[in-house]
Amino acid sequence: MKFKNWIYTTALSAAMCFGATQTSDAQVAAERYFRANGTPHNPKVQVSWNRYHTNKALLEIMRDMVAKHPNLVKLESIGKSYQNNDIWVLTVTDFKAGKAEDKPAMWIDGNIHSNEIQGTEFTLYTAWYLMEMYGELDFITELLKDKTFYFAPTINPDAHDYFMTGPNTGSSPRSGMMVFDNNGDGEYGEDPMDDLDGDGSITTMIRKSPTGNFIKDPMDPRKLIRVGVDEKGEYEMLGQEGLDRDGDGRVNSDGIGYYDPNRDWGWNWQPDYVQSGALRYPFSVPENRAVVDFVMKRPNIAAAQSYHNYGGMILRGPGAEEDLGTYNASDVRIYDAIAKKGEEFMPGYRYLVVYKDLYSVFGGQLDWFYGGRGIFTYSNELMTSYLYFHKNAGRGNQDEQMDVDKYLTFGDAFVKWKEYEHPQFGTVEIGGFKKNFGRLHPGFLLEQDAHRNAAFSILHAYHTPKLSVMDVKEVDLGGGLKEITATIYNERLIPTHSSQDLKYKIERPDYVTLSGAKVVTGFIVQNEDFNRVTEQKINPEKMSVANIPGMSTVKVRWIVAGGGNYSITVDSAKGGKASWKK
Amino acid sequence: MKKIYLSLVVGVGLLFSLTSTTLAQGDYPTLSQVNQRLQAISGSGSPAKLTSLTKTEGGKDIWVLKVGTGDLDNKPAIAVVGGIEGFHVLSVELALQFAEKLVKEHAAKLENTTFYIFPNMSPDAYEQYHASLKYERRGNAAKIDHDRDGMVSEDGYEDLNKDGMITMMRVESPLGDYIPYEKDSRVLVKADRSKGQKGSYMLFPESRDKDKDGSFGEDLSEGVAFNKSLTYKFPIFKPLAGDFAASQVETRVLLDYLFEQWNIFAFVSFSPSNNLSAPLKYNPADARKRILTSMLDKDVALNSMVSGIYNQTVTQKAYNQTNQGTDGDFFQWAYFHFARMSFSTPGWWIPEVKDADGKSIGNAEANFLAWAAQEGRNDVFVPWTSIDHPDFPGQKVEVGGIKPFAMYNPPFSKVGEIANEHTAFILKLAEMQPKLEFLNVKTEKLGNGLTRITADLFNNSPLPTHSQLGERSRWLRKVRVDISKDAKDLVAGDKKQLIRSIGAFGKTSVSWIVKGGGNVDIKAGAAHTGFATLNVKL
Repeated sequence: MKFKNWIYTTALSAAMCFGATQTSDAQVAAERYFRANGTPHNPKVQVSWNRYHTNKALLEIMRDMVAKHPNLVKLESIGKSYQNNDIWVLTVTDFKAGKAEDKPAMWIDGNIHSNEIQGTEFTLYTAWYLMEMYGELDFITELLKDKTFYFAPTINPDAHDYFMTGPNTGSSPRSGMMVFDNNGDGEYGEDPMDDLDGDGSITTMIRKSPTGNFIKDPMDPRKLIRVGVDEKGEYEMLGQEGLDRDGDGRVNSDGIGYYDPNRDWGWNWQPDYVQSGALRYPFSVPENRAVVDFVMKRPNIAAAQSYHNYGGMILRGPGAEEDLGTYNASDVRIYDAIAKKGEEFMPGYRYLVVYKDLYSVFGGQLDWFYGGRGIFTYSNELMTSYLYFHKNAGRGNQDEQMDVDKYLTFGDAFVKWKEYEHPQFGTVEIGGFKKNFGRLHPGFLLEQDAHRNAAFSILHAYHTPKLSVMDVKEVDLGGGLKEITATIYNERLIPTHSSQDLKYKIERPDYVTLSGAKVVTGFIVQNEDFNRVTEQKINPEKMSVANIPGMSTVKVRWIVAGGGNYSITVDSAKGGKASWKK
Repeated sequence: MKKIYLSLVVGVGLLFSLTSTTLAQGDYPTLSQVNQRLQAISGSGSPAKLTSLTKTEGGKDIWVLKVGTGDLDNKPAIAVVGGIEGFHVLSVELALQFAEKLVKEHAAKLENTTFYIFPNMSPDAYEQYHASLKYERRGNAAKIDHDRDGMVSEDGYEDLNKDGMITMMRVESPLGDYIPYEKDSRVLVKADRSKGQKGSYMLFPESRDKDKDGSFGEDLSEGVAFNKSLTYKFPIFKPLAGDFAASQVETRVLLDYLFEQWNIFAFVSFSPSNNLSAPLKYNPADARKRILTSMLDKDVALNSMVSGIYNQTVTQKAYNQTNQGTDGDFFQWAYFHFARMSFSTPGWWIPEVKDADGKSIGNAEANFLAWAAQEGRNDVFVPWTSIDHPDFPGQKVEVGGIKPFAMYNPPFSKVGEIANEHTAFILKLAEMQPKLEFLNVKTEKLGNGLTRITADLFNNSPLPTHSQLGERSRWLRKVRVDISKDAKDLVAGDKKQLIRSIGAFGKTSVSWIVKGGGNVDIKAGAAHTGFATLNVKL
């Protein structure tokens, strides 16, 4: 009896458990949540988008994505970093609707600069949003049927985590983890940053001095203010928290890196004396080489985004005035159309041109993607102080930042001044803004801005080419010959070949092939009404089309003998494939 | 016993092969002969260490011989580079013979100087000299779509007359823009339209238009040319250049290696470019731009001085030496992007030949043919011979022209003398290297245990420690002065001091005020200048 009872209760509870797991996702959600418009309200992959993830957490999330969305997500390591970490890429597309490499694609990466870690979160958010909304929204479902996305949340994994765990300011390190001799003395990294107070952030050192020019603001002791030119102050500024370890009279003078991974790309690359931060030659930063090897093998990439911080910018090239001729009017028109729309739904973000509105950059990533590969590419500078109070107080406005710390983060952003016995300076005070404030979004702004930037990339990817064969017409020429004219339509903004691509023949032409009939000859039709045509004498069944412009058509004509049912296929590296059958 | 016997045999064998390759060789060496000679140069007990930096796409080694003694990383060094162009087989032989002579006859020079010898940067292309089909090849074995039409190497050369070499082909046609040269009708020159001249030939490399695009031999079965693949003025997307600079493994490993060798102060390249017969020109406007395309003025002056020494050492008089660099080449890279003094010479060129009236022949090919005739060489030209060409049915097509390699590489019998002279030049350049010395050393007692030490750090060399461009480059170290006293005992003066540059026969004064007594060691220098040391007893 006891035994039977046991069996009974076990079976019952097992059945209950089973039932519970079967209904859990939908029921749990239905009982607990009301959908907020625009957001996956019951995602299969649970992520909190109000904090930053380490490499370990990122990999867990990405593996969870593969497990929960096997038909939409693939994860691969595209190479190793300097410190032998994997550089992960998520490929997101509807794998049941065609091969990833056959669809027009967008590349999105983050964190090329080590300290700019929200690019990692925004990249991953975009991937997450797409996979979670697939099947929920027609627009997204269709997008993933048509397009492929390659997401590299961090192309600098070594220093991604080092920014978090090592002694850093909000601006360090910019490079990866290779160490060089920065002062020409033959020693490598002999004077790195020192986190004297052990709080993880490199802040500022001040010292009481009868001849100093600063006082602490009596209304707000966090603020150091300069006294009038004819007034005596109380403090002197000593600069960055740290030690002079190599005896050269400078604090923190030779640490990690120096090099800038975003001066390492193979378009208009220049050496260090022209472009400071350049390394040895293009792609001598190993992480970049992994990206380049991946991109070179995927000619379907037609759009790209590389996330940086900060300032609220949608940037395009040219990086340097010397490169002005590279960006010509027909491509700039497309850059403008997408970015100006983006400005409308990304408050605080302005559409700017690097060389003109920022500074000169030789060997930048966005210039290589466009100049070297013909890919329409933006770099968004994430985070703008506009997001705090919806005011344009300017970059690094100390008063505004103090207000944020007081009214929005309640002291979480600022390390209060604290005395420290410094072996070289004597008694100093150490304090200032933490490394996770200023350039990085505070948690409560992360998800919103991630979404707006994701929306911008979705718009960008949407406008990669979409090709179709339409309006196939036949004319009987007599003598068993037929004239077949087909219109190839690109119903998006981006052409199959940017003008840069055409100028250097970067990518092969598009091919429009007629099969199932004997082709006598073929033509590209310039003007159908006046019968202006160009003949292709060699292999006329496979017509070579230099470009299919955005929101535009190309007409192809064949003279064929016989043939009943024939088919027409379009094969474009960046435009994907299309076909038509009689 | 057996072991000893075996090693004796091997030893004798090595000796024998060494003498046989150097004495009995009648032609430029094959790659395996090059490898044997490199092994011989770097055999046991040799100051030369042979390393393979990588294998090319074609599976060939990229060798470096590092030759030096003692603290060889801290002696000024010269890098000697051959095989910069694959068809310039002379350059490999010159680099090799330099290495052989250095080790065998001039090992004493290693007391002060270290040498890096890269005998062949284009082994894939070099091989074509000895292949059954001979042509002047530049590219490695990578698969490259040179004409960027989506098909790889579909329109290379073709040996239409089956003579085992690629020459030219000419098509008789009123559409052609070439005519026979008046002084030698075998040579074709462009019709001068400005004088109303009508062409009579079309001229192409020996090939077929296999892809029917109207161009001949425009997508060769070879890859990237080393000497067109470097970062200075990189000709992106041009044939033989690649899609970005330094795309090939041999270029990358060479650069990676060079960037780790801090002691190189000068390069001597054997390549078609020449800035030794005459220096590069200075262009003030280009030297002021942020992207430099002119050497800086002080560096041009150094180039000029070294060029003078070259012209004293090498007997051949400059003629037609107009190639002072091409886009993406190596020797300009070594200056413009690596900030070292960089010198290049083809080693040999065709001398000027004058006609019966004492006038220069002018055209380079006609001059070459006239020179070959003087030398009694009748084997340098393939006479124009008609063939049937499928792309020109019914038209007169002839194959012929100067044989590959003949214009860039002298008969092998001339190489010995050329190598002797160029070895002498490189050794003279080594004599000129930066040399730091302490002069006017003074110690003055200031009382109460304080001593002032002063000295002049003198660069006893006609070259500065840093080229003018080198002062801007992070890839040359500063001259560093260290004093052995603890920082706390230095009342004045730095424990470690960095000096940007010391001029030719120039000096920098250094001084310290130190506390206490005993011995003080002072050391000054950088890897590429060598070090001077000073011991002061207080």
